[in-house]
Amino acid sequence: MKEQLQDILSLLTDQGADYADIRVHDIQEENIATENNKVQSLSTAHTYGYGIRVFVDGALGFAGSQEFENMEATAKRALAIARASRGAQKQPARLAPRQAVVDDYQTPVKIDPFTVSKEQKLALLFAAEAEMRKAVPDLFKTFGSLLFRREEKIFADTEGAYITQTLFMSGGGIEATAANQQDVQKRSFPNSFRGDYGTAGYEYVEELGLVENAARVAREAKALLEAEECPSGHFDLVIDSDQLTLQIHESIGHPIELDRVFGHEAGLAGTSFLNPDKLGFRYGSEHVNVVADATVPQGLGTFGYDDEGVKAQRTPIITKGIFANFISSRDTASVLNQPSNGTARADGWGRIPIVRMTNINLLPGDKEVDELIAGVEYGFYLATNKSWSIDDKRLNFQFACEIAYEIKDGKLTGKIFKNPIYTGITPEFWNACDGVASEKHWQLHGTPNCGKGEPMQVARVGHGSAPARFRNIKVGVADVK
Amino acid sequence: MLSKEQLYAIIDTVVAAAKGYNAQVLVMNQAEGLTRFANSEIHQNVHEDKTEVTIIITTANKRSEIKTSLFSETGLQEATAEAIANLKFLPEGDEQPPLVDSPAEITADSFNPQLEAACGIEERAQKVKECLDTLDSDYLAYGALTYAEHQIAVGNSLGIRRFARGNNANFSVIVAGPKGSGYGETMANTPEDFEYQRAFATACEKARLNQNPEELTPGAYTVILEPVAVGDLMTFISYLGFSGKSVLNQFSFLTGKLGEQVFDPRVTIVDDCENPNTLQLPFDFEGAPRQQVKLIEQGVAKALTYDMASARLAGTETTGHSVNMPDMGGLPLNLVMDGGDESLEEIIANTEEGLLITRFHYMNPVNPRNAQLTALTRDGVFKIKHGKIVGSVKTMRFTESMLQAFNNIEAISRERQRTSFFFGNYYVPALKIKDFHFTGNAD
Repeated sequence: MKEQLQDILSLLTDQGADYADIRVHDIQEENIATENNKVQSLSTAHTYGYGIRVFVDGALGFAGSQEFENMEATAKRALAIARASRGAQKQPARLAPRQAVVDDYQTPVKIDPFTVSKEQKLALLFAAEAEMRKAVPDLFKTFGSLLFRREEKIFADTEGAYITQTLFMSGGGIEATAANQQDVQKRSFPNSFRGDYGTAGYEYVEELGLVENAARVAREAKALLEAEECPSGHFDLVIDSDQLTLQIHESIGHPIELDRVFGHEAGLAGTSFLNPDKLGFRYGSEHVNVVADATVPQGLGTFGYDDEGVKAQRTPIITKGIFANFISSRDTASVLNQPSNGTARADGWGRIPIVRMTNINLLPGDKEVDELIAGVEYGFYLATNKSWSIDDKRLNFQFACEIAYEIKDGKLTGKIFKNPIYTGITPEFWNACDGVASEKHWQLHGTPNCGKGEPMQVARVGHGSAPARFRNIKVGVADVK
Repeated sequence: MLSKEQLYAIIDTVVAAAKGYNAQVLVMNQAEGLTRFANSEIHQNVHEDKTEVTIIITTANKRSEIKTSLFSETGLQEATAEAIANLKFLPEGDEQPPLVDSPAEITADSFNPQLEAACGIEERAQKVKECLDTLDSDYLAYGALTYAEHQIAVGNSLGIRRFARGNNANFSVIVAGPKGSGYGETMANTPEDFEYQRAFATACEKARLNQNPEELTPGAYTVILEPVAVGDLMTFISYLGFSGKSVLNQFSFLTGKLGEQVFDPRVTIVDDCENPNTLQLPFDFEGAPRQQVKLIEQGVAKALTYDMASARLAGTETTGHSVNMPDMGGLPLNLVMDGGDESLEEIIANTEEGLLITRFHYMNPVNPRNAQLTALTRDGVFKIKHGKIVGSVKTMRFTESMLQAFNNIEAISRERQRTSFFFGNYYVPALKIKDFHFTGNAD
């Protein structure tokens, strides 16, 4: 394979390419889901192909194919596309310099998830479903799912890089749904939308505690059906790390993508309220410290090298509330005369790498969760995302959560409310943060379905945080009668 | 692209390898070239040719699925063997629906060679440049021009064979000035219908009108939603409500409401696979012939869409709407909404006070059981007074129940437009709706 790739790269150089790279991806996925004590789906997927990226006079061409015997034709197609692109170009792309390395990286795993039998995986889900049913026999629906992925990648380019990587993903979750004629309510664990995921082996799933948390999840779903609607108004909130995952994702992770800042996403998902002049501006309170960390163990956005061959890094994004850095690829970093901080990733062989979140983590603070709650006269502890939306500059957001636990006089009262919604403007919200819980409460969550780009690309990203407190946040949509 | 014979040969190989089992094979073959531009220059130009084979093996109470892009004879045999091996340890589950057994073959070929010739690598770049060259110097353009060829083949061990081939072109553009932007889009199966210049001009005109937007207080407003905005709503109304599985899951706002008046009597929505303005695919991913389904007739919830499994659970027959997502059931892909008797211009002229909405951004359901959605406006909200556009408005967030909104309709436009969604496109009119709730601003 190495020889074939290098022959194609030489051919492209000979025919006028300024730069070219080839990525080969061999991806296997296993998806298992159970619903109401039966197998809902058992499917595996295997895709194998390559993508060739070419720059000619700073114009990009890319072609992806599964036909390895026709690699030369695919390369020539990519070259032709690059040449055609030159006609409507003002600023030729430049690639920031990078050390070309020859290396191999593999996700550290204790148990290769593909060596664990499907029977064992199904047994785990059935056990969790049984616990939910035992706790609440009249639940409308119980559900569990597991997802595993192994991606073997080769990256080779005309600058001499040759990198092989094997990345693993493991994870899953459970859901309990209660319903009656008027309403339907769901509780999820350890996170909504099918759970949590990490770059890890089967040990990650064993540590999730799906069976151990099943009864609580079921009881909360049933209780939500009978609960009152969450009040509307302005309240102090303590937000659990599972909801903060998406808050960080939408209101920090996406706005700091340098390609978005430069307008490359404007035609689809929008731009960012940030621009290079905003470096140094107050993004949040002094309690807000955020890093982009592609090196954190088990983070879903953890890898050895990005898809431009740049080594994984940890980059400060917000330090004591002050905005410090964007996340970048080689072509976007060069505009700021910086090296790439290694966040260019592609959704498989048929897509080009674009700037993607790695693990965007809110660093832990120094509070106990009880201390955060103790500081609230009347408010709510919100958990688990149910719905999300943010504007095309990443400023106005609205999130709905699965559950609101009432806080009164500094204590959880035991009362819960359904359908909590909170809304805000990104910098105002992060400036309203007056405490983050400590490291022992810090959790890393994985999101396997971050969508971006045209054609649409799905990325696997991670977010770590501990619960945090926010003052005087707008809750509810009382405007709707 | 593979030939029809090559696609059928893939099915034959799997069926032969699965001898003794029920085998269903879905082959998706798509080649897509996309030219993306930002800041008025091409910044991304890509091509991908991809074939994916989905093999489903069933017994009376078990189902196993394998997806593979390795479609050599050996690759297919190995994938089939793996799917069969999975059956051995799977516990007994729901009774599996029978395989589709008739008609023996359905073939649909809407491939247009003139469109292919008009949308090659050079032609796409030239079309983009042609548009960009018309742009005023203080405006920038962002968007994409996509040309896609797709082939779908379905077959099973009962001998049915299905084949469909088509191609289409899509163009979407945002034109942005210093203070605001405008949007235009077009999609077509023929070069004559591919009105990319009109779409670009629309975006330019809207951007020019949107340079001094004012901020409005959140509250209830009369809105006129252009077809693209209606298509945005329809995507989520359909996802939340129109599939039989969503009702079985008690997730749908139509749960317990079939046969009831749920929308304004002027609302009729049909999933119409025969309408030339929608996806030309006469069968579903299980091979069942796609049926026309009258979902909402004069405001009354009449019917739902099913795949084989959800139909069986509901005690009915498939409507031919499988997208091979058993957790979703059968989804409508060809929504067509009836038009009204006024033009959009007349609706605007007859509006004393209101807001003209271009489209929405980042929509999501807030509460599925009352079809409450939220999203933000994007690329142009225009203030109407005494029947005329008098200014523009900054981005606003709505949060509204569609059960309320579609009962507050004041007018439906005569003209309709193709609007894109996840899998294809709808064909919908503009709507005038009173008391549409805006719950926030973006600044």
